[in-house]
Order: sequence, then structure tokens, then C-alpha cells
Amino acid sequence: MMTPLAINWSHVWMVTGLGFCMVILLLVVLIFILKLLGAVVSNAVKAPKAAEPKAAISAPAAQAAPASVKASADDDLAAIAMALHLYFNGVHDVEPTEIHIKRVERSGWNSKLYGMNNLHR
Amino acid sequence: MGDILEFFDQMGFMNISLQQVIMLLLSFFLLFLAIKKQYEPLLLLPIAFGMLLTNLPGANMYHSELWTAFLDANSPAYHSYGTIMREGGLLDILYIGVKAGVYPCLIFMGVGAMTDFGPLIANPKSLLLGAAAQLGIFLTFLAANSMGFTEAQAGSIGIIGGADGPTSIFLTSKLAPELLGPIAIAAYSYMALVPVIQPPIMRALTTKKERAIKMSQLRPVSKTEKIIFPIAITTIVALILPDAAPLIGCLMLGNLAKECGVVDRLSKTMQNELMNIVVIFLGLTVGATATASSFLDWSTIKIMVMGVVAFGCGTAGGILLAKLMNVFSKEKINPLIGSAGVSAVPMAARVSQQVGQEENPSNFLLMHAMGPNVAGVIGSAVAAGILLTMLG
Repeated sequence: MMTPLAINWSHVWMVTGLGFCMVILLLVVLIFILKLLGAVVSNAVKAPKAAEPKAAISAPAAQAAPASVKASADDDLAAIAMALHLYFNGVHDVEPTEIHIKRVERSGWNSKLYGMNNLHR
Repeated sequence: MGDILEFFDQMGFMNISLQQVIMLLLSFFLLFLAIKKQYEPLLLLPIAFGMLLTNLPGANMYHSELWTAFLDANSPAYHSYGTIMREGGLLDILYIGVKAGVYPCLIFMGVGAMTDFGPLIANPKSLLLGAAAQLGIFLTFLAANSMGFTEAQAGSIGIIGGADGPTSIFLTSKLAPELLGPIAIAAYSYMALVPVIQPPIMRALTTKKERAIKMSQLRPVSKTEKIIFPIAITTIVALILPDAAPLIGCLMLGNLAKECGVVDRLSKTMQNELMNIVVIFLGLTVGATATASSFLDWSTIKIMVMGVVAFGCGTAGGILLAKLMNVFSKEKINPLIGSAGVSAVPMAARVSQQVGQEENPSNFLLMHAMGPNVAGVIGSAVAAGILLTMLG
């Protein structure tokens, strides 16, 4: 299966070094493109918001909004983290495996059923 | 009486060789791993069954000699698919899809339709980790050369380190088709063993403090970014590296179909029906190449050993680069996500999550690890394109 040929080590080292560097280089290029893409898209999203009249938002509301948003985000994160923690640790309500039959007392609510059983005896 | 004797002579039992018996036992073992242990069953099961079918004497479903003639420039059957169609068996005909590099690309289309590149778009630096994890490919290429393989064979063996089955098959079918069986089996076996191979390396290369690092939440990614991403990546990568275009192009076509939201039917077909059909054909035919004569060879054992080395080096490469990035970066990243740079989606990311939670149960690394994980898919396809350009 293998062909016993003299190894051209200079070419092998060239392929190893150049090949790995090219992978890194190409992916670094992609990093810049993705960052550029992110910046362009986020600017495009912000632009219409910036065009809205600032007077429409009252000053106290504008100041209060970030704090409340942050607080609700923290609450959400805490709830998600707790749910995941409970899920991964298998901590949940333990159901009792015993079944109890409660003796039924006579009352106006079950008198009809009781009477039907009596007829069969 | 003569007819009865002829019938007995034609029975597989009368013609089976010891090597074929060994291959049949090996296929039973792989079927056991697929069914009982569930090691990558979707691929290992058809591969093992293909191996079973090809080693049954007299079944004539796959003819390795036809494919040897297909590659022999002096043979009248050189590059003649007509000869294959005329004289080949069922598996020979299905194998044309591997030989022409069709199946791996179609599988990549399905992979793209199932992958969310959001974590990568949110944190583009993940691409660096995906690139560093390709170190295993090139170090193994070097090692395979020193063990007597040709450069083309060494490149095909090295690509196992990319932990990406379709990419391994794509490159090997182009560079060293004679090694396709052992390389595909090594690639898929080790992908299934990612949870066994990676954790010891991850623990050895990181401190407890590093493993407990919590990372900040990823920014939300808009739909527009997700739509532009596959188009931009395909254009840039294909213009820089045309040989990577089939794999990257199909991966990104699948992803675009998923993200654009206007071709749900196509996206679902890519994810399910198309993917499943191609997996059956690919698995069966790749398994069929593992004939006794090509598989029971010292080179197979060497490939298996170097496959582990490739995986280990890839894992180490990602972790070490993550540690290096921590030296220069203000915002610390957990080095465990570096190991997810070997593609093996999403198993490698899950391993990062599990090892991270061993140190800090409230640490959720999964989404952070998905970034390098999907970057590894792009990285291994790019590495395959580079090897194809340099060695093809």
C-alpha cells in the first residue's frame, strides 16, 4: 500500500508550515469580515432609532430604562440558571410511591353509589 | 450430482479466506459498537454493514480491482465510469458518489442546514480557536511522512485531526483513495470517542482556576447578520481558496436555506431526507472499500495510531491558543472551549461544557464552545482545501 520513496523533507516542511499559516491567515481575514459585518449591521439598526425625535422620550424615563432592563435581564438569567441547575442535578419534587385508599364515609355526595351497590348484593 | 457439487463450490463457505473471516468479525464488532454502545450509530452502522457485504465471497457487490483499473492510466478502464456502470455491483455504482466527491458535499449541505453560526458571529475570535485546533492535521501530516507514507497519503491521514468525517472522506477520495476505508473508520471511531480522548488532555493542560473561568454572555445576533454570513463566507473563502469551494459552498448553502426563512421546505429536506439518504449511501460504500486485502495491513494500524495523535494535537492546539489569548486579552476566556475547535459538532462542545461544570457547576460553557466548534468545521474544510491545492 505504501510506496517507499525518498521523502522530500523541504517540501513536507513547507506544506506543514505554509499550510497551517494559511489556515490561520484565512480565518483571521474572516474574523475581520465578521467584525465589519457586525459593525455595519448594528449601525444600520441604530440609525433609524437615532433618527427618532429625542423629545418624545422624557428624561426620567430615559434614565430609568437601562436600570430596569438590566434588573429584569438579571432576574431572567437567575431563573434560567436555577432551572438548569435543578435539571442537571436531577433535583425536583419526589413523588411518594405509596398509594392510599381512603375509606369513604357515607354522605349525601356518595349515597347514590352506595345504594346501587346494595342492590347487587 | 455435478450440479450439486457445483452449487456447493459456489457457496461462500467454500470460498471464504481467513482474512475475510477476520474482516467479518471486525464488522460484527463495529455493528456491536454502533448498536449496543451507540458510537456514532448513524454512520458506524452503515459503514460496518458495508464492510460485511464487501467481504462476503461471491456476493460481487464491490470490486476493488475495477477501482484500481479506474486509477491506472495504462488501463482501458482509466477514469471510465461507463466500465463501472457496466461491470460493477450495487456498491460500485453507489461508490461513484464518493469518488466524484458528491456525498461529502451533500452531507455538508445538511450539516449547514442544522448549524447555528450565531455563537461564532457573536464572538468572531472563536475562529482563531477553530484554526488552532487544525494544528493536529499538519503535525500528523509531518508524522505520517516520517512513517513512510507518501505526501498525498500523509495529508489524508492528517485530516483525521479535523474530526470531520465528510471532509476526511472528501480529501481522501481525491488524494489517496486506497486509504479511504481505514481513514473513514478511524475518523468516525475517534469522533465517537471524543468524550474519552479529550478530557484527560483538557485537564492536563489547564489549571483548576482556568477551568472555572466564567465567560460573559454572548451578544444577540440579528437575522440580517445570519443571512449575510453564509454569503460572505462562501464568496471570500472561494475567492481565496477555490479548492475549498465545494465543501464551504454546500455548508453555507444549507445554512442560508435555514436562516433566510423563505425556503423552509428545502431546509427541512436538506436536514432530514437528503441527509439521511446520503448518509446511507456514504456509509455503505465507505465500508465497502474496507476489503480484507486493503484493510488488513500494517498501514491501517499506523493510521489508527496517528488518528489519535491527530485528535490529541488538535485538542491541545485549541486549548493552548485559548491560554495564549488570555495573556493578551482583558476579557478572559475559558481555555476549555479551545478543545471544541476540532469540529466534531456538537460533541466536542458538550465535552467542554461537562469538564467546565466539574469545576464550577454554575458555569455554562456550551454556547461559548459552539463558536470554536462551528469554526472548526470551517477550519477543517479550509485545511482540506489547502492540502488539496498543495498535494493534489
